[in-house]
Amino acid sequence: MKLRPDIVRMYKEIHGWVGIVSGLALFIAFYAGAITMFEVPLQRWASPPSGLAAPVPLERTPELVRAVLAAHPEAAEDYDVHLAVGPEQPARVSWQPHEEGGDHGTHRTFYAALAPDGSLQVEEKGPSPVAQFVDILHQQVGLPFSHEVAMPIMGAIALLYAIALISGIIVLLPSLVADLFALRIGRNLKRMWLDLHNVLGVLSLPFHLIMALTAVVFAFHDQFYDAQGLTFARADARPPAVARAAAPERPVLTPAEAVRRLAVEAPGFTPTTLSYGERPDGTPTLRAAGHDPRYGLRASTYGFAGLDPHTGEIVMSDYMPGRQDGWGATITSFFALHFGNFGGSGIRWSYFLLGLAGAFLFYTGNLLWVESRRKRQRKLPSVEQTRSTRILGALTVGVPLGCIAGISVTVAAAKPLGLATSEGLHAAIYYAVFLAFAAWALWRGAARAGIELLPATAAAMLLIPVATLTSLGRHPASEPLVDLVALAAAAILILARRAAVARARSSPRDSIWALPASRARTELRVQEEQA
Amino acid sequence: MSTPELSSRDWLGKASAGLILGFALSLGLSGLLAAAIGVGDTYFSTRGQLTMWVIAPLWCGILSFCFLFRSGRGAWLWLGAAAAAVWFALFLMGRLS
Repeated sequence: MKLRPDIVRMYKEIHGWVGIVSGLALFIAFYAGAITMFEVPLQRWASPPSGLAAPVPLERTPELVRAVLAAHPEAAEDYDVHLAVGPEQPARVSWQPHEEGGDHGTHRTFYAALAPDGSLQVEEKGPSPVAQFVDILHQQVGLPFSHEVAMPIMGAIALLYAIALISGIIVLLPSLVADLFALRIGRNLKRMWLDLHNVLGVLSLPFHLIMALTAVVFAFHDQFYDAQGLTFARADARPPAVARAAAPERPVLTPAEAVRRLAVEAPGFTPTTLSYGERPDGTPTLRAAGHDPRYGLRASTYGFAGLDPHTGEIVMSDYMPGRQDGWGATITSFFALHFGNFGGSGIRWSYFLLGLAGAFLFYTGNLLWVESRRKRQRKLPSVEQTRSTRILGALTVGVPLGCIAGISVTVAAAKPLGLATSEGLHAAIYYAVFLAFAAWALWRGAARAGIELLPATAAAMLLIPVATLTSLGRHPASEPLVDLVALAAAAILILARRAAVARARSSPRDSIWALPASRARTELRVQEEQA
Repeated sequence: MSTPELSSRDWLGKASAGLILGFALSLGLSGLLAAAIGVGDTYFSTRGQLTMWVIAPLWCGILSFCFLFRSGRGAWLWLGAAAAAVWFALFLMGRLS
C-alpha cells in the first residue's frame, strides 16, 4: 500500500515517542496480566492450609449462617456462600462488612466455619492475597499508588498505547507485504529486532487493539459516565419501585435449594457463589455468580444472575452468561475479550502467551529506540552514548527483569509467609526487588546489568519450586504446573544470559550492549591502528 | 496542487486538540448514539453502557489521526467545528440536561 512518505515519517516519530514513554509500564502491565490468566490456580498454589475447620457440607450451611448472624448481625446485609471450596476458598461462608471508602476501598473479609463441636469459628486469614496483588500490579501498570491516583495514569498510558498501535500500523503499511514474513536473523541485529517487533505487533494486533480500548474504558469509565450524566438529559431514574405488599415472612431458599433450582433453570451454568443480602427496606436479595464455558463472562472469572430469593427464579439476567440480550452480550464480549475468560483453558493459555508476546513487543520497541538514537548520534563527533540513551538502555534491562524477579520472589514468599501474609507485605517484597534491580541496572549500565541480572532473575524464578519443596510439611503441594512453568522460565532466562554474553563481546564499542572492558579494548586497537 | 509536507513539529497543538476536543466530540457522538438506540434513563442499562463504551474507540481514533491535520490551528478549528455541530444537534434534539 502506498502512503505519502511525509506521513509515514511523521508517524514513525510519533510511534517512537509514544512507545518510549509508555513501553516500560506496558511491559509490566502485560507480564503481570499474563500471570493473572492463572489467578485461580496461583491462588490455590499459594494459599496455606486454613486454620478453620473443614467447610460444612452445603446442606448444613443454614446452621452455619444462623451462627454467623447471631454473632455478627451486620453480616446479614451481604454475605457469600461459597459452593466451590478448596485451598483457594477455604470457608463456606464469608462476608465483608460495609465500610466507608467507596467502591474501591479495601475491605476486610471475614471467613466462618463450624468447629466439630458445633461452635462458630471466625477468621480474617483467608486465601493468599498474592494473586490479587499481581492483578492489581497489572491494573495499575506497576505503579505503587492508590487506585484513584494510579488509574488516570494507567489511562494516559493506554491512550499512548492506542496511538502507538495505529501509528505503528501506518508506518508498516507501505512495506507490510515485503516485511511481514521476513525475519532476517543475521549480522544486522537491528534489522532482526525490527522484524521481530513487526511480526509480533501485526500478528497480535487484534489482541492489542482490544487491550488498548478496554484499558481506556477501565481507567476512565467513572469519568465517562459522569460526563454523560452531567450533560445528557435523562428521564427519571429507576421506575418507581412497585409497592410491595408487606410480604409475610416467607422463607428464603437455602443454598442447597437454590443450587437445585438453578440446575433445572440454567443447565450448563455452574454456580460458584451465592450472595445473600438485604435491601435498605429489609427485603432479601439473592445473587448467583458462576461460569459457563460456552460463554464469555462479565467479571474476570464469573458472570452473575439475580434470583428471586423465595423461588429461585432468575429475575435479572443482564450479566448471566448465555441469558443476556444483544446489548448485554455485546458489553460482556468487551470484558470477556480482555479477560480471556471464554472457551476454557485453551484460550487462557493463548492469552498467557499473547500477553508475554505483548510484553516482549514493548521490550523490543525500547531496544529499537535505543539503537536508533545510537545510529543518529554516530553521525556526531562523539561516539559516546548520551546520558538519556544510557539511562533508557539501563532501564530497558532493569525494569522488565525487576518486574519478573519481583513477582517471582513475592509469589514464592507466599509459602514461607503462610498465614502471616498480607497484601501489603507482598507489595513490599515486590517493590524492594523491583527497585533493587532497576537501581542495579542504572549503576552498572545495560550491558553488564543484563549479564548480571538475568541469572538473578532465573534464581528468583527458581525460588518458586524451592518454596514448594521446602514447605511441603506445613503446606502440601498443589498445582505443580506453577512450579513447572517457573522452572521453564528459569531455563529461558539462562539461555537469554548466554545470548547477552555473546552480544556484549561482539558489539561495536558505541553500543550500549558493549561491555566497558571491550569498549576500552576497541579504543586501544583504534589507537594502535592510527599510530 | 501540492500539499505542504506533514511533520511532527506541531505535535503539541494537534495532540491537545485531539485530547480535549476529541473527547468533547466523542462524548457528543456517544450522546447521538444514545438517542439513536433509545437510552432514556440514568438506570445502568446495558444500552447506556454501550454508549459509554463507544467513547473509547472514538477518542483513541481521533487522538491517533489528529496528526493528519496540517497544523495545530487546523486541528483545533476542524475538531472544534465538528464538536460544536454535534453538540448543537444534541441541543436541538433536546438531549441536553
